[in-house]
Amino acid sequence: MTDIPIIPDSLHVPKSEGDNFYLLGAKCSICSYICFPPKLVCVKCLRNDSMKQIKLSPFGTLETFAVMQIAPPGFTAPYIIGYVRLDDGPLVFTLLTQCEVRDDALEIGEKMELVIEKVGEDENGNNIVGWKFRPAKNG
Amino acid sequence: MMRQVYIAGVGLHKFGKFLDKGLKELTRVAVWNAICDASIDPKLIEAAYFANAMAGLITGQEGIRGQVFLRDSGFEGIPIINVEGACASGIIALREAMIAVASGMHDVVLAVGAEKLYLADTARSLQAMRTNTDVETIGKLGFQFTGSYAMTLRKYMKEYCWTQLHFAKVTAKNKYNGSLNPYAQYQRSATVEEILNSQLICWPLTLYMCSTMADGAAAAILSSKKVAHKHGRAQIHISACCLRSGEVGGEDDGQKRVARDAYEKAGLGPEDIEVAEVHDAMAPGEMFRIEKLGFSKPDKVGKLVDEGYFALSGKLPVNTSGGLAARGHPVGATGLAQIAELVWQMRGQAGSRQVKGRSTPYPKVGLAQNSGGYVEGSPAALTVTILKR
Repeated sequence: MTDIPIIPDSLHVPKSEGDNFYLLGAKCSICSYICFPPKLVCVKCLRNDSMKQIKLSPFGTLETFAVMQIAPPGFTAPYIIGYVRLDDGPLVFTLLTQCEVRDDALEIGEKMELVIEKVGEDENGNNIVGWKFRPAKNG
Repeated sequence: MMRQVYIAGVGLHKFGKFLDKGLKELTRVAVWNAICDASIDPKLIEAAYFANAMAGLITGQEGIRGQVFLRDSGFEGIPIINVEGACASGIIALREAMIAVASGMHDVVLAVGAEKLYLADTARSLQAMRTNTDVETIGKLGFQFTGSYAMTLRKYMKEYCWTQLHFAKVTAKNKYNGSLNPYAQYQRSATVEEILNSQLICWPLTLYMCSTMADGAAAAILSSKKVAHKHGRAQIHISACCLRSGEVGGEDDGQKRVARDAYEKAGLGPEDIEVAEVHDAMAPGEMFRIEKLGFSKPDKVGKLVDEGYFALSGKLPVNTSGGLAARGHPVGATGLAQIAELVWQMRGQAGSRQVKGRSTPYPKVGLAQNSGGYVEGSPAALTVTILKR
């Protein structure tokens, strides 16, 4: 049984005891631009050889969010979506968790923290894991 | 030297729910309405650009959509080019058609957008609409376009004191405009109270603020100056039709940049625009489009909404057709429907929703803003078009 990231190469999956999950990004060695998920080409420099994979900070600030009252298949309403600006720079679209599902439970600009959760299973019984964010104060 | 390109004719198939009609019929009605409007011999049409976003998933017709759906309109033999750019498909087709005439390659071309979203199987339509994002990434994470608009609006509310009441007022204005448009999907006005009390979709958006599924088609016939003159259709030309892809690394996700492109190309500024159609899949989105297009500073938009600045009788009427939420949003047809509305307004043919120009009986300059899809935090395709009479 292994953990499989919901989006390939977006997450580092622990390989040994003491190792942790984290978001994977890529940083341009020329202009320092950081993207998530990692890419091989820098969109700023438009070079194919300058991006190096890096570990991204698990912290960021809440740019905005919405409490969805209608759910697509596989989701249960209400649920919260949002954008978190990682301390490293990239803007991450994410589900928000571990807070009340109400419009007044969150505040634009508040500190958020990465949470890794199992979001499903594949046909071989492997866990599919994805990222979510929670208010850092609830951590 | 690029040639000036004229809009010789426009035509629509009414937007709405037509369970008994397929894309061939929707397309035929819009195309022949445009042909009649242009009063140009249809045999002069040298090429056609066919815009559609979702027929592949909805009907299974993934390949050669234009060749299939235009055959019933009578077109065979000529080059037919298929265009897809989610909600921006229509203007991307218009732009390609414009380039074909401007370059001297063709003298008369057809741009048509058609979409069929209503099926007995609603789940299939909803599934198709979700493919207008990067399906490998945010498509898996509960992204919805309603939520995307709500998140953008929430930022403006915090920074610039926009309120849900402003959003209801904008929606009421557009619903009223739609009630005067015989091609609109929803031809019923609604009060601010009715809008605020309709079902909550995701705060601050309620049901009446949101576009729904729609079927429909829109077409435009473009021609060179010589042909337009010969047929008495040399009134309205495309002053600019600019396209960009969204960006996360740049300034303002690309929306202001594409507007600047269009103003520069046309040699005009936001203050010169007399009537505008903007992309408001959720009606309150009109307010941030207004800001991105430079019609107002962000902190003044709410006040202008309160004053009726963007109403039919206002200084700058916006979404006189009703916009996407009232006129309807058959995805691939939307951009060309915006163009048709501008042409009617600029010719003085908009009936009971006709607006006045600033120095002439009808507007001389109109702007259409149409965008589509979503990639990594920015719209995928961004367009701004300026027409001049």
